[in-house]
Amino acid sequence: MSWDFAILILSGLPWTIVVTIGAFAMGLILGAPLCAMHISRNPILHFLALAIIIFLRSIPPIVWVFLLFFGLGSGFISIGAIPATIIALGVVTAANMAEIYRGSLSSIHAGQWEAISALGLPPVSSFKDIILPQLFRVTLPSAASYLIGLFKDSAIASTVGVMDIAFLANFVARKSFDGLTPFAFAAVLYILISIPIALVARIADARLRQKVAQ
Amino acid sequence: MIAEIQAGPRVPEAAPNILEVRNLRKSFGVHEVLKNINFAMRKGEVVAVIGPSGSGKSTLLRCLNQLEPASGGEITIDGLTIRADHQLRRAELMGLRRKAGMVFQSFNLFPHLSVLRNISLPQERVLGRSRAEAEKRAHALLERVGLADKASQYPARCSGGQQQRIAIARALALDPQVMLFDEPTSALDPEVGLEVLAVMKELAEGGMTMVVVTHEMHFAETVSDRVLLMADGHILEEGPSAEVMRNPKSERAQRFLKAVMNR
Repeated sequence: MSWDFAILILSGLPWTIVVTIGAFAMGLILGAPLCAMHISRNPILHFLALAIIIFLRSIPPIVWVFLLFFGLGSGFISIGAIPATIIALGVVTAANMAEIYRGSLSSIHAGQWEAISALGLPPVSSFKDIILPQLFRVTLPSAASYLIGLFKDSAIASTVGVMDIAFLANFVARKSFDGLTPFAFAAVLYILISIPIALVARIADARLRQKVAQ
Repeated sequence: MIAEIQAGPRVPEAAPNILEVRNLRKSFGVHEVLKNINFAMRKGEVVAVIGPSGSGKSTLLRCLNQLEPASGGEITIDGLTIRADHQLRRAELMGLRRKAGMVFQSFNLFPHLSVLRNISLPQERVLGRSRAEAEKRAHALLERVGLADKASQYPARCSGGQQQRIAIARALALDPQVMLFDEPTSALDPEVGLEVLAVMKELAEGGMTMVVVTHEMHFAETVSDRVLLMADGHILEEGPSAEVMRNPKSERAQRFLKAVMNR
């Protein structure tokens, strides 16, 4: 495999990142209302959220991608390969983030809510100043490991023609009749990106923990 | 029907009532935890609420600032009356909580905020004080509870006794009319509890109106003006501390006091 091929595979990195960040951002945002519905005292909202979460998580991400791109994309609506992948991975991420948020919320000590009430803190301040920073700390490790998983799962995009790392590695393998080197190169790329994410999350977590350790 | 007030000698006879509880009831489902509670307090009075576990002491205290909504009756703090049979408006609830500062058994400091910020942030958000003003007050209060050097620390780096003194400072910073203490030393080693009790004693001597749910019989006897002895959701006995604790009238009260005093 020549250096040209290596550079070609590397040029897939931006698309891998776009799909990953897009789906993650979508999940981070949509996970919040989903979690709010799930913990709502309103039984309709609660069961609706529960049903959505189970539904979204029960279907493999690759089937979601095919459903959106080949299913809906074949005549119902016009959807590109990249938006289809981002939405498919995004909705699954939303379901998982909703569960991660819920776990984080339940880890906040009941005494914190009592102190908020007894002090008479206004709702916006309670959330922004007291609950959110504590949620962030608890959510960070699980969200970071989910992000790493998502980064690797983004290779699904290659199945619908997004020219990401996996797609280009496959392309080079076919062109050069060498299966090992291009895929090994792609594997190294995935590793080189995953490790820093894990490291950064670990350091940030350790810093926060050290500050507020209980 | 308000129970007759027998304030201790420290509180002037003419001091107005700052807290009145009338026919207060609280049920959890079918379980009635508070049964028709009546009492009143004068400004500057310190009342200790004692009694066996499950007697309703903590529930009574938590009803006073509506952490537990009452099932019946009414509560007046500093002119603001809350009735259980009226829908409580948010402004009333906030008003009530502004008048009553609360200290918990488990401190409940905000772990992600520095000691100083724990005390200054509520002042800014609840009272609208400027940051500089709030921090000035926080420093002064930390000085008062003997923790001026802890301002920049995080709560986790402080001992239990220190955390409870910080929690007291946090509540005081909002200028409450009444301070509610829910077993403030129960989570602490006895000797650590003493430093918290010392701060509370100093606060009492400074004229703060205080309701203290406690198992510290020495504190109840020496610092409080009056004792409410509760059992099974009732106020069993009420009166000047020494009188209730030395000469309890009912057999139930005698039994309880004998058990706790001879420990």
